[in-house]
Amino acid sequence: MKARYLDLFLSVAAAILLGLGASAVVMLFLGKDPIAAYGLLASSVIRDKYTFADIFVKAAPLILTALAFAVPYKASLFNIGAQGQFYIGALVASAASLALGNKVSGAVGLVVVFLAAVAAGGLWGSFVGFAKAKFKANEFLVSMMSTYVALAFMNYLLRTALMETKHEYPQTDSFAQGLWLPLVVGGTRLHLGFVLAVLIALAVWLVIYRTGFGYRVRVVGLNPDAARLAGIDSRATYVATFFIAGALAAAAGFTETNGVQHMLVQGFNPGLGAEGIGIAILANANPIGIVFASILFGALKVGGVIMGQMSGIPASIVEIMEGTVMIFVILSYFARAKLEGSREKRELRRRMAQ
Amino acid sequence: MIQLLANALLMSTPLLFGSVAEVMAERSGMMVTAIEGIFLIGAFAGFVGAFAAKSLAIGLLAAVGSGLAVAALYGWITVYLKQHQVVTGTAINILVSGLCAFLLRVFFGVPIIPLTVEPLKRLPIPFLSGIPGLGPVLFDQNVITYAAYAVVPIAWFVLYRTSLGLSIRSAGENPEAVDVAGQDVNAIRFNLVLVAGAMGGVAGAFYSIGYLGMFTTNIIGGRGWIAFAICFLGNWNPLGALAGTLVFGVAEAVAISMQSSGGGQLVPNELLIAMPYILTIVLTIARRSFNVPGKLGVPYMKEG
Repeated sequence: MKARYLDLFLSVAAAILLGLGASAVVMLFLGKDPIAAYGLLASSVIRDKYTFADIFVKAAPLILTALAFAVPYKASLFNIGAQGQFYIGALVASAASLALGNKVSGAVGLVVVFLAAVAAGGLWGSFVGFAKAKFKANEFLVSMMSTYVALAFMNYLLRTALMETKHEYPQTDSFAQGLWLPLVVGGTRLHLGFVLAVLIALAVWLVIYRTGFGYRVRVVGLNPDAARLAGIDSRATYVATFFIAGALAAAAGFTETNGVQHMLVQGFNPGLGAEGIGIAILANANPIGIVFASILFGALKVGGVIMGQMSGIPASIVEIMEGTVMIFVILSYFARAKLEGSREKRELRRRMAQ
Repeated sequence: MIQLLANALLMSTPLLFGSVAEVMAERSGMMVTAIEGIFLIGAFAGFVGAFAAKSLAIGLLAAVGSGLAVAALYGWITVYLKQHQVVTGTAINILVSGLCAFLLRVFFGVPIIPLTVEPLKRLPIPFLSGIPGLGPVLFDQNVITYAAYAVVPIAWFVLYRTSLGLSIRSAGENPEAVDVAGQDVNAIRFNLVLVAGAMGGVAGAFYSIGYLGMFTTNIIGGRGWIAFAICFLGNWNPLGALAGTLVFGVAEAVAISMQSSGGGQLVPNELLIAMPYILTIVLTIARRSFNVPGKLGVPYMKEG
């Protein structure tokens, strides 16, 4: 058991290094010095308090969208629609914040906005689970397509009902200050959303690993036949896990609108859903691992932008890093299975020799 | 009306390439979840090739080559290393999207006016294009669309009327039997992924150099996934895929013509844009009995 955890840790660490190494090769082809670039990336994120705190600002929504993939994944379901669920959450959070205006602010107002966003995202997400449970519709496709529908819906509302008062840009007015998520560290952008995301990750871990519901989800994921024989209603699991997934991604919409932007801007954070999937894979869908993997991706994002400004390497190198890291993590699954197999064989031989 | 149908065929072309490619690969047991990335890299490489060499043919070749390269990476990880197909595809799609955005900046910087190439011209076929009604719809299209006419019959013939097709279908239903018959299941699957990569590359290039004459990083915008969906909806059959693509082609052509004719006052533009995606959801829910290849998405593990 212990050796397996060591394998896991070492192989993920190796995968991250190899992924960054592969991105370094891309830089070399362009005649850029990757060592200087990575040095710049690392030193820039710790150069001041504001930049360092930004890592956690970026990590907060990533934690939530990664969880939105991870929870259905535990039931062997694929939620590719976190991006759309995120937009629905952001839309409802914005609509609620604008409706509340200055009338209700502070903790009560924020709780109302949060609950509205999470409920809407949950309902939006649970449609996918419902379609799967009731009509055996492929959840992969339905969730994927629902993102584009949500995007169109957002664009429509930003052109009509929610558009800012001057009617110039596809965005909303700024929210009343009373509905901004409070800052955790003064002089930075770090808001309560990161703390919220970490707490939610802990809660998800508890639910998945320490409750009867979580147990049923995992049984459905590992062996649907056994689940059926044990009297577990897998269809209820489909709806419930997708409700949770939608709610989680919508919570990210809330942290981004009320915590960072303080308004809704058309098509913001377009890569959040896909990056969430990458993070969930990197962390093997473990909620605690997801927190750390999100911080890593957050650091890459923050450092990548600064590196792009200072060294002339386009900031999209970060996406290449994320992609190569993910590929090497997948390769590390393969390597780990090999290691595991050979260790078991050695053990078997040792026992037989005795 | 004729213009609408001609546009519908035009917009169906890349989806037909993509969905038939997906059908072929899935019949062998391989979901090509990297299809969105393959479309995107095809669009990108096609544009870069056409722009640099001032030749659409070179662009097309570059698109095929890049599609093959991405498919080879995907196939290696999923077929030979037996890793999860959805997970691998997601990783590759992110990587490709980063790579295209990155290389676009590196090659072209931030141009003030968007860079363009002259898109593929229509090539009316003499006599045939003169047939009233049908002629302008079927025989006044570009070369890629003409090639698309051949894709379905060829795919159908290969799958159902050749021993190769039998091997492909068996690799998806009963790989053990293929193995016992002395054929290499993994090689069959890997090659089918490559075929899908080449066809997906062409499909992607259609958007950049066949139609728009330019490249943006969101040019594909989920159309790879629509091709993926059409494969499901078309019941893993090239003829079904043809029917599915025509439905989507008509939907897209209607959306385009309503946008340009000012129909936006009646129906919000965004609803028209969302139409193909809503249609996919509705059809996915409505299609009940699926003819899923038995071992779709399951890596072949040899006993022993």
